[in-house]
Amino acid sequence: MSLSLNDLVAFSIAVCAILMVGSTHLRLNIFLFSLQTMLLVYLSTLYAHHHAEEHLYLIALALFALKAVGVPVFLLRIIRQVHVQRDAGTLLSAPIAMHTALAFLAVSYMLARQLPVPPSAGLGWPGATAAISLVCTGLLLMLTRRIALSQIIGFLVMENGIYLFGLTQTRGMPMLVEMGVMLDVLVGVMISGLLAFRIQKSFEHIDVSMLVDSKE
Amino acid sequence: MHPLLIVVLAPVSVLVLSLLIPSTRLLSRIAPVLFFVQLAAMAFSLFPVLAGQEKVFCLLPELCVDRLGALFSLLTQVVVAAATTHAVVFFEQDDAHNLQNTRSVRIFYACSSLLLLAMTAVYFCDNLGFIWIALETTTLCSASLVYYHGTKHSLEAAWKYLIICSVGIAFALFGTVLIFASSQYGATPKGSLNLSELSAHAEYLRYPLLRLGFLFCLLGYGTKAGIFPLHGWVPDAYSAAPAPASAMLSGGLLNCSLFAIWRLCELVRASGHDSFVQHGTLTIGVTTVIAASIFLVHQHGIKRLFAYSSIENVGLMIIAIGLGSGHLFFLLAFNLSVAKVALFLTVGNIVQSTGTKAIADIHGLLAKNPQWALVLLAGSLAVSGAPPFGVFLAEWGLLVHITQFHHWLVVAGLVIGLTISFLAVMFHVGKIVCGTCRPGDISFYPWRSVLVPAGLMVVSLIAGVSGLSQLF
Repeated sequence: MSLSLNDLVAFSIAVCAILMVGSTHLRLNIFLFSLQTMLLVYLSTLYAHHHAEEHLYLIALALFALKAVGVPVFLLRIIRQVHVQRDAGTLLSAPIAMHTALAFLAVSYMLARQLPVPPSAGLGWPGATAAISLVCTGLLLMLTRRIALSQIIGFLVMENGIYLFGLTQTRGMPMLVEMGVMLDVLVGVMISGLLAFRIQKSFEHIDVSMLVDSKE
Repeated sequence: MHPLLIVVLAPVSVLVLSLLIPSTRLLSRIAPVLFFVQLAAMAFSLFPVLAGQEKVFCLLPELCVDRLGALFSLLTQVVVAAATTHAVVFFEQDDAHNLQNTRSVRIFYACSSLLLLAMTAVYFCDNLGFIWIALETTTLCSASLVYYHGTKHSLEAAWKYLIICSVGIAFALFGTVLIFASSQYGATPKGSLNLSELSAHAEYLRYPLLRLGFLFCLLGYGTKAGIFPLHGWVPDAYSAAPAPASAMLSGGLLNCSLFAIWRLCELVRASGHDSFVQHGTLTIGVTTVIAASIFLVHQHGIKRLFAYSSIENVGLMIIAIGLGSGHLFFLLAFNLSVAKVALFLTVGNIVQSTGTKAIADIHGLLAKNPQWALVLLAGSLAVSGAPPFGVFLAEWGLLVHITQFHHWLVVAGLVIGLTISFLAVMFHVGKIVCGTCRPGDISFYPWRSVLVPAGLMVVSLIAGVSGLSQLF
């Protein structure tokens, strides 16, 4: 079996996410997220070209401007303001978490082979494997990291995975829906970014696991 | 007048006013008036659909609402109008304590009007993608409502709420993509998310993908409604939010996410897999009811107590959805929402007057403020399903309906859960109502503060009595 360029790009997106699990350096993670989203933009244009779906070009453009550039710039600004460089304590140590993410990749492969082949030409499983692994990796980031910012990044990785799944399995959701989803995610990132900033101001740390238990 | 304006005009004008007018006194008086005017306009224009003369009412080609959706959007409007009417008293009292600043009150009104718009959109959207977008928007608006007080507790609750619900709703997005994929195998040429289109070709949907998508959506929207293992955010958020916001969350927002689940269940049912839907939802519903009733026994916070009672109610409504009875679903939602809004508003009064949320520190409400005590007692009786309130009727109907399907285990589970929760709620409320009050507690506006909750309880009582008189 031979993998096409599309499939290789999809897999490199998944690899980016796995590398993010292995690093506790926040700036590096944001950079990797940006790289991953750039690859996603590239993949969208590839699909747009192959399948003559013009609306994918527009989505790719929005993805580039908002998620590959806008969100990382916003998150980097927050990092500067709260003076946090590293995710100090992870619940799983980085190497173990990274191996767990690799195991998730294998599980995703098995899950993806179960899915029916998409009606559009081409293999379905490579894209689906990468997408499911991306969703799992994002979830892993959210569960194991204790710093509010890392949880936001984990959520964004998950969202990228869902977009990748839609792209490879269905050649993209309807344009209006995709745009609405992106808008919601952006506003969500802004609100949670501001909350993370407040958490640092009122608790003097942004370690979410150390928040007081609010059981009055 | 364009039909779209009926739905959009009032919330947008409240939003604009809240950004423009610096005086919160004026704002808090204009907002409820506008919401009630909109309620009347909506009731008038939706009347043909409600009376069954027309099948759907359309704002725009893809924004149509059927009879059930119309009922729910009116209910949401009632909840928001009632909560904002009571908010006048709430904010005045907050002002007396110097707890608030003008900015957060204005943010409250801006977010409430956005929340109302998003909630109405959920009922009007005929497209799974748009429903998802509207529901995520409700999360974002209500997170700012939860953060209203700006304390550490509210910050933590808002963070928990935002993160848990966003992850949940991300799963629902994944489910939506799967359902979109399932429609590309012959149902529609390029795939579709339009619900009426999907239901029309439901037998051509690729079932494994549809089933997977349904499960993910059930999990995702269920998180937003507070089903059992994923309910962690509910008590924190309800407890931290100001009373009018808690009322809107529990009386309006819960119904929204449950309505999304209802739409999905209808879709899967149309594809001819009724038993799968029924098994999934009944299991979730019964576990939620039993778990919530057990949590109710050991509660220390008065707002957390009623938050868990809300979770229990969600379990009941999910069972009604699973049985495919839109009538019972609305009956439950209407009666529970009315009673819970009354309860959360009254509890807000009590918390403001005693300055604590701990049940152990609140006594002697009957001696100090009999009006509040009466409404609290009536509301707790209503939400735990005691006659003669409307909820009793709805729960009775639900139990009778389940026996027709011979799900005896479900009936047994429900009866046990409802009994435990009734005893637990009554035990805690009894401690609050009886005894002698502390000297430090203040009392304010004995009549004005109870106007809206008492009115809602009267509605619930009328619904119950008129229903009972029809039965016998």
